[in-house]
Amino acid sequence: PQIFEYNGSAVVAMVGKNCFAIASDRRLGVQLQTVATDFQRVFKIHGKLYIGLSGLATDAQTLYQRLAFKHKLYQLREERDMKPETFASLVSALLYEKRFGPYFCQPIIAGLGEKDQPFICTMDCIGAKELAKDFVVSGTASESLYGACESMYKPDMEPEELFETISQALLSSVDRDCLSGWGGYVLIV
Amino acid sequence: PPHFPQIPHPNPRNPSLAAADPSADLPAAAEMSRRYDSRTTIFSPEGRLYQVEYAMEAIGNAGSALGILAADGVVLVGEKKVTSKLLQSSRSAEKMYKIDSHLACAVAGIMSDANILINTARLHAQRYALSYQEPIPVEQLVQSLCDTKQGYTQFGGLRPFGVSFLFAGWDKNHGFQLYMSDPSGNYGGWKAAAVGANSQAAQSMLKQDYKDGMTREEAVALALKVLSKTMDSTSLTADKLELAEVFVQPGTGEVQYQVCSPDAMGKLLAKAGLTQPAPEA
Repeated sequence: PQIFEYNGSAVVAMVGKNCFAIASDRRLGVQLQTVATDFQRVFKIHGKLYIGLSGLATDAQTLYQRLAFKHKLYQLREERDMKPETFASLVSALLYEKRFGPYFCQPIIAGLGEKDQPFICTMDCIGAKELAKDFVVSGTASESLYGACESMYKPDMEPEELFETISQALLSSVDRDCLSGWGGYVLIV
Repeated sequence: PPHFPQIPHPNPRNPSLAAADPSADLPAAAEMSRRYDSRTTIFSPEGRLYQVEYAMEAIGNAGSALGILAADGVVLVGEKKVTSKLLQSSRSAEKMYKIDSHLACAVAGIMSDANILINTARLHAQRYALSYQEPIPVEQLVQSLCDTKQGYTQFGGLRPFGVSFLFAGWDKNHGFQLYMSDPSGNYGGWKAAAVGANSQAAQSMLKQDYKDGMTREEAVALALKVLSKTMDSTSLTADKLELAEVFVQPGTGEVQYQVCSPDAMGKLLAKAGLTQPAPEA
């Protein structure tokens, strides 16, 4: 059994005009059986920083909990929130620590950086960062998502239009993937 | 009488006392007990831990801190000892520290020792949250920190931490709580407590004036009143004090830790009638 396809997932993030959107599907499966339709894959780190984790569900949850731990300590010591770029480096380092026994997750990080400039990036399960200016995708539906985003995306969309675009891209892509779907969860910041 | 093992080095003050029975006669025992000062982790003949007591002495010279438990929150007030104009404080607080979203502490004593312990406390709180996915109960955190402090009085040969803490926090089992801990690793839950300089005087004043079921506002007023009487300086100004409160935010229901801004501080002092009147032009 393919470990990345065990639970099924779809996560996507897009950049708009002074805003970003991050979305995920809601299905949690055990191979072909659906076990939950309200599973959360997008987590808040702080008001302007979110992380979506596709792949193995248990690793997604554990990874999020460990990141929340590290961010909490950062906040207490530095008395400020982490910048998205810094957070991305933290995630990358955390994943590479497990280079020979990795977390089976592909994270998507989306946040507003300095002067509220939107920032998105993704990385593979061992921490190879990939910055993008437009959109990033991950999960079992990633190939469909690439196609949908590429055709639907345009730069500098306002929040309302960005919401429409990302929702349509997500829903149409998961419809072509049996392992993800059962609704979507979209967050605009 | 208890038999104490022979210490290899002779007593520099009086070598003839090397073989004397420590409990034989009092003056000799008092002289002998100076020997035990050099070891942090053994008892003195009278059954005291000198290093711990010396640590408490050090704290008695530090800026004072007060904590008061109110019905709707916990109030912590601290006296800032260092108030030079040249001081550029990089962090917002000198005496108050947040340990977790629902827990904070006030410090009295050696600041560098306090920093280490606060870091340990923060790590411990987060590790608990990671394992149990819920915030650490206040007493658990206090206990773990006190266990660390106690370790330094029993093994390692290292000196104890010269810090006393006042912990203020909330958890869902016991609501708002206030704890005081000292260098020996002892701790207790209190309705009102004081540490640092003049803590005895402050404590007795609090005992007289504390009323159960006080509101936070009343607690703040009481804390400022007590502090104004016990502090050495002649006038209370906003830059000499730090005030922090742990309470539940009315809108969200979340536990909040808030440090009072200098402006708000000034207003509170004026309201309590504690500021010096402005000098005549």
